[in-house]
Amino acid sequence: MSEQNNPDPDQMFSGAEILLKSLLAEGVDTIFGYPGGQIMPVYDKLYNYRDSLRHILVRHEQGAIHAAQGYARACGRPGVVTVTSGPGATNVITGVADAMIDSTPVVVIAGQVPTQLLGTDAFQETDVIGLTTPITKWCYQIRRAEDITWAVARAFHIASTGRPGPVVLDFTSDAQRGLAKFEHKKCTFIRSYTPKPRISDEAIEKAAQMIDAAKKPFLVYGQGIVLSGAEKELADFLTKSGIPAGSTLLGLSALPHGFPNYMGMVGMHGNIAPNVMTQECDLLIAVGMRFDDRVTGKVSTYASQAKKIHIDIDDSEIGKIIPVDLGVLGDAKEVLALLTQKISAGNREDWGLTATICNAVELHKVIEPETQPQEGHIHMGEVVKTVADVSDESAIIVTDVGQNQMLGARYSRFNTTRSMITSGGLGTMGFGIPAAIGAKIGRPDRPVCLFVGDGGFQMTIQELGTIMQEGTGVKMVLLNNNWLGNVRQWQELFWEGRYSCTRMLNPDYSTVAASYGIAYRLVAKREDLRAAVEEMLSDDRAFLLEVHVEEEGMVFPMIPPGKSVDEIMLNSEDWFDYGE
Amino acid sequence: MENNNGERLYVVSVYSENQVGLLSVIANVFTRRSLNIEMLTTLPSEFEGIHRFTIKTRTTRDKVESVVKHIEKKVDVIRAFWYVDDEYLAKEHAVIAEWIEQTRNKQLKNQ
Repeated sequence: MSEQNNPDPDQMFSGAEILLKSLLAEGVDTIFGYPGGQIMPVYDKLYNYRDSLRHILVRHEQGAIHAAQGYARACGRPGVVTVTSGPGATNVITGVADAMIDSTPVVVIAGQVPTQLLGTDAFQETDVIGLTTPITKWCYQIRRAEDITWAVARAFHIASTGRPGPVVLDFTSDAQRGLAKFEHKKCTFIRSYTPKPRISDEAIEKAAQMIDAAKKPFLVYGQGIVLSGAEKELADFLTKSGIPAGSTLLGLSALPHGFPNYMGMVGMHGNIAPNVMTQECDLLIAVGMRFDDRVTGKVSTYASQAKKIHIDIDDSEIGKIIPVDLGVLGDAKEVLALLTQKISAGNREDWGLTATICNAVELHKVIEPETQPQEGHIHMGEVVKTVADVSDESAIIVTDVGQNQMLGARYSRFNTTRSMITSGGLGTMGFGIPAAIGAKIGRPDRPVCLFVGDGGFQMTIQELGTIMQEGTGVKMVLLNNNWLGNVRQWQELFWEGRYSCTRMLNPDYSTVAASYGIAYRLVAKREDLRAAVEEMLSDDRAFLLEVHVEEEGMVFPMIPPGKSVDEIMLNSEDWFDYGE
Repeated sequence: MENNNGERLYVVSVYSENQVGLLSVIANVFTRRSLNIEMLTTLPSEFEGIHRFTIKTRTTRDKVESVVKHIEKKVDVIRAFWYVDDEYLAKEHAVIAEWIEQTRNKQLKNQ
């Protein structure tokens, strides 16, 4: 188009077009959305830009926001959502809250009624700014076309820098129609916002001293490593220092499976060794994690015997839950590189056989019974392990929430970063299908495999329509046990087995899949499992593999609520004990 | 003066950009923690383009430290501070007293 070769600086564009040109200037090529009355000017202009901006039409706005999250987690670029006013905007609130608590960069553009109707209870009007203020890094109502370029540039800067998070722009339809010039200027500085704090030399010195002096140090890392792109710096630090490390749920895949010092996942359903080592170390180094209650168990005893260093980019996290001896404020990548230079090489032999003993008990009492049972119905862990074996650890694993999530996290193996996409902080059921769609669209070069239960599957089942329309080749493994599994487990363990409202009657998923034109296979017998997984992973088309798993399956190990992280249930009767 | 829960009156002072809507953003940080706002004033500060909020709340030291850190996280907030009530009054008093002294000296010089 000639205007691109010779742009006229005085040319006036509609606000809707300015928005799209601003998105393109920010490097956006994909939008997840759903049109409606108060966003129609944008959609009309989008028609002219359909070759440069791919729009994925979802089937519910919640699908759009979760897809944008999956996209952002898979490829690191902010996910972009466009929805209409009123119910369109309120339908994304769950996903915005999810993105906020899991620090995922997304920019949501919501249509809004014309400025002169604001506050009048107009058709499809809601107070989006009021609703999203507590769950966004920033939100802003655009009422004039002149403000669009500033707001969009600022939105992308805020969403993707520092500790990432969601930004919502409430875009009145008269601003969409209003005329202004287009002059994009990337936002690189906001005087009241410091995304990357300056690292204190004194803090690094002190940290290095504490690390060198420790006899049994232990490191716990979280999603901060992935968000910072600090995977190599973490690996180098651990290699030089010899310190063993555990990962939170959201930190999984930052270190590859088989990395020498990697002890496994910490937390309520994590591996035994890293949880026990937390309670036996003399120095706990926390990097890019926030001491979520699923990780700490009983706060008063969590690593209470150890000195603690907390490395994080967000000052409000340091000392928020666990008081620490030293806070190191800064970007994980930079801090770890500085620390690696300062510390002495070590081998941490004082840890002795702790991990070996823990791993042996876990393998014998938990892992083998779950992933390699000899009889009875198929176990959920068995399915996850089969997928890990067949896929050679290269897939992006997406999970929904609940038992499927915990077992998907425990038994998947990763050899590349950004391979674990799951709703951690908010635990949103229904996250799985749309997030898998977004991940596959963000990284079409990688296989994407979803583990989901019959509960979560039905929460966003309508997004099968998106898969059908877009031809997105996601592999969905439906672990069907006819129960709301995780709640049922808690009812069994803590509520005297009173199964109140957790039994689910399921539809015939083969006809559901067929009606959406999605390849399908059902497995109910162990001997068919491997072949079915191989068939699922053999090509690029979308696939639904339904597995009828043991109905009253349980996820172990488990640290029950209120217990210290070394008080670990191995199964419904036995607790972890060194003596075994 | 601490009450039985270890709570006392704290003053939180916030400097921010002059943006519409910041009042409710800041108040929301308190509401979220079920903290009662006993007093709130907002005025332009002595610096051009920068606004100031002064909020009194009764709570524990840990909570007020956490509140201040969370307020500072908000993008348009520049800095936030907390004081124990008496300290605040004394500091404010000293600042105003100094200001009066300085302006009186300027007036004398001009006569």
